[in-house]
Amino acid sequence: MTTDVQMTVNGARHRVAVADDDLLLDVLRRLGITSVREGCGVGACGACTVLAEDHSVSSCLARAVRYDGVPLTTADGLAEDDDVVEEFVAAGAMQCGYCIPGFVLMGHELLAQNPAPTREEIAAHLEGNICRCGTYQEICSAIEATARRRQAENERRSA
Amino acid sequence: MLGETRVAAGGAVGERWARTDARAKVRGELLYAADQPLRPCLDVVVHRSTRPHALIGSVDTERAMAVDGVVAVVTGAQLYKLFGNALMTGPAFSDQPCLAVDRVRYIGEPVAAVLARGLAPARTAADEIEVDYTELEPVHDVDLAVAGGPYVHDVLRPSVVFGDLKHLRGKRDTNVNYEYTLRRGDVAEAAAAEGGRTVHEEFWCPPTHHVPIELPFTAAWRDGDRLEILSATQTPSYVRQSVADLLGIPLNAVRVRSAPLGGSFGAKMYDRLEPLAAVLAWTQRTAVRITASREEAFLLTTRHGAAVTGSMTADKDGRIVAATADVRYDTGAYADVGPRITAKSGMVATGPYRVENVDVRSRCVYTNKPSAGPFRGFGVPQVTWSHESLVDELARECGVDPAEFRRRNLLREGDVAPVGTPMHSADFAGCLDAVTEAVGWDTPLQREEGRLRRGRGVAVGVKAVLTPTIANAVLQLNQDASATLLISTVDMGQGSDTIMAQIAAEALCLGEGQVRVVAADTDVTPYDTITAGSRSTYHTGNAVRRAADAMRDKLLELAAERFGVAVTDVKLTGDGLVSAENQQKVSIPELLHGHFGARGTTLTTEANFTTSWVPYDHETGQSERVTEHWFAGAVAVQLTVDTATGRVHVEHLAVAGDVGRAINPKLVEQQLTGAAIMGVGHALFDQMVFDEGQIVNGTLLDYQLPSVLDVPDKITPIIVESPHRSGPYGAKGVGETTIIPLAPAIANAVRDAIGIRFPRLPLTPERILTALAEQEAGA
Ligand code: FES
Ligand code: FES
Repeated sequence: MTTDVQMTVNGARHRVAVADDDLLLDVLRRLGITSVREGCGVGACGACTVLAEDHSVSSCLARAVRYDGVPLTTADGLAEDDDVVEEFVAAGAMQCGYCIPGFVLMGHELLAQNPAPTREEIAAHLEGNICRCGTYQEICSAIEATARRRQAENERRSA
Repeated sequence: MLGETRVAAGGAVGERWARTDARAKVRGELLYAADQPLRPCLDVVVHRSTRPHALIGSVDTERAMAVDGVVAVVTGAQLYKLFGNALMTGPAFSDQPCLAVDRVRYIGEPVAAVLARGLAPARTAADEIEVDYTELEPVHDVDLAVAGGPYVHDVLRPSVVFGDLKHLRGKRDTNVNYEYTLRRGDVAEAAAAEGGRTVHEEFWCPPTHHVPIELPFTAAWRDGDRLEILSATQTPSYVRQSVADLLGIPLNAVRVRSAPLGGSFGAKMYDRLEPLAAVLAWTQRTAVRITASREEAFLLTTRHGAAVTGSMTADKDGRIVAATADVRYDTGAYADVGPRITAKSGMVATGPYRVENVDVRSRCVYTNKPSAGPFRGFGVPQVTWSHESLVDELARECGVDPAEFRRRNLLREGDVAPVGTPMHSADFAGCLDAVTEAVGWDTPLQREEGRLRRGRGVAVGVKAVLTPTIANAVLQLNQDASATLLISTVDMGQGSDTIMAQIAAEALCLGEGQVRVVAADTDVTPYDTITAGSRSTYHTGNAVRRAADAMRDKLLELAAERFGVAVTDVKLTGDGLVSAENQQKVSIPELLHGHFGARGTTLTTEANFTTSWVPYDHETGQSERVTEHWFAGAVAVQLTVDTATGRVHVEHLAVAGDVGRAINPKLVEQQLTGAAIMGVGHALFDQMVFDEGQIVNGTLLDYQLPSVLDVPDKITPIIVESPHRSGPYGAKGVGETTIIPLAPAIANAVRDAIGIRFPRLPLTPERILTALAEQEAGA
């Protein structure tokens, strides 16, 4: 059984035929979105993370048909001047880089829910994402820096 | 000729340049091998053995062939008919077929391959294959395998590559495929001396897995009489040779491209998916793609489990006078590079200490498990687990502080190591001092806090760099003063593209972003032994430096000609070339434009860097020059043990490595820290569990890896620099330095906290609780 669905990724709409058991991960990669990657296939590493309406989803476990029309965001689709991306670059929060897009999206999700997370809250939110290169400290610092930056911008705006 | 010793003044070396591709990595725009656009490929899925040791009777492929979308099903026996013994590959022994021929040797071994249009039909068909087995008795335990049969291989088949393995050819009735011995002085006499103290123990390190987050991937296609491969590999030059040998075609008929790797740590090197992809593409005259799942990745290679029986003796003055180690590496069903690991680790199995009497026996042993191969540290963490646990106990026996005891016995500059080679640029004492100071080693410790017990531990590590090896670099300086660097080093997260750019930029006074490194492509980039063993900064770095120096010399000559002055009068600066005599100036773009009379031109230089050694003596293991250089590192840790849960919590981890000279301190710190976090996993929970040859935790739901919650409260990475006399700007590698002594440092701190020595890794909460209960029962 295949269904015609509309995948809405980073604002662009794609009509695609998907089988009932097609994984969101595979469908996105078929669309050429390779920032979404498989690391484990069982929801245990976070390399395949996407945001669906601002909520993180492990696309290796998600059926594509269920995301018909749901706005999806992947790291490569973030704004050119995305603040989380900029702070990751500034903090040197990458080694091999394979896991990093997943962490960037987790950072976005967290900061949308909690604009001033503590270090513990950041760690708790990132617990399901694995960086085998061990870049955790820089990743956490980059998310903290983004929070500070947003706060400073808000203060400037309201001043 | 302009000498090599002139100091460049580029301002690139020692700077914290951002990684090349930093932004692309963060946005996910960097293309790893599996992300690259390819021509249409058939998907390959293999059918795997369900038996640890069995003869293959028939392989029934009929039902698989009937699956819609299946193009071909290929068995090992079919391939053997075509390729004969060339089907057997491996870096040290030619013992591994890409599909089992007449016998399977581990659960999960590939037996037949399905080629299909799409992954789904390939998977379905692979499940439909039926194999008729005649079971053989398996051997799972490394010590049973040493003791005798069943034998995993009937005869040993050392590869032709290494002359020093020749004596093993055709040897039968053994599972020991290599043995290294190190002998010096008289251990028995030293151990019997008056007033001496000896400690001994049986140690065990379980097999572990690398788990780079990027999965293994190889694609191959045939174009006429050429074979092209795109593979996630650390060893493109090796793969080209291996595939050319396998197919019996010239090197220039094989093109191997790599891509940036999403981590590797030793997992993606030598023969992994490439031989299978190559023979399928070649024989079927098609394009194929193999994407391993995580479960399959666990079967491709592992870190050697190792048993070590060790002892260490101190004399009445607290000097280490004797040390022994009997090391058995479980290399699984195929030797891979195990024999090399056995020797390289055996030669440092007694640690970074001045010991006059040593006796080491290090063996590489076949068992019916997935093949073990290189892993960050190349077998040395397993022997370090032994010597750093022993030296700690010995210090306690002697009533001396463990850090101070080590300090008194450490090898110093110019000392001769037990293997017979003098030490240079290996500042163990400096590393030890730095880490102990960082954790406040001499300050008082609050030992008890409710149910928590607090302790501190330290450990030191030594490893010899792979020698001899070969590196090459080709440098193109473009007319606009940007440069393109052609090397076969693979950036897998260690940052080699950035490091090599900095080394090249230094000599040419180029800035950040001006040197671009081309991804390894054997049609284009020159031979490089391997990207592994922390060898790239030193070896490829030296080739790059030589190519850059040669480029600078060319520029000076061109400018001297243009200015009409002597070459010695011209200087290369950040603003271009300047004559001291007549103050003339010219920028690189102007100079090259003037020289060639055209825009867009390139000036090319190339250089080689090859190291040499004196092979070790087969009886004594001694060599006056066994390695080009040494890695030296130390770790100090402060932690708590929760006596109710058995959990270890690391409060402060200080890690130091002597890197000679840090080309990019930020990247060095990331290597020191990243290796340390991986080491915390090895110390506390990381292990592959087998039951009768079957992996029981081969998924990431079951296999625990360090997450952000396992990161110590504080990590202090410390760069120690004792420049190497022939390193590029004094530099050496760093990728493995801090993982080597990490696990024993933690175990030593646990010993300090609760008074219990753990000889077996990892220190899981269950093990700790059991030991605490036994301690209480005993007390
Ligand atoms: S691939 Fe989806 S969580 Fe690992
Ligand atoms: S940067 Fe390599 S896995 Fe995270």
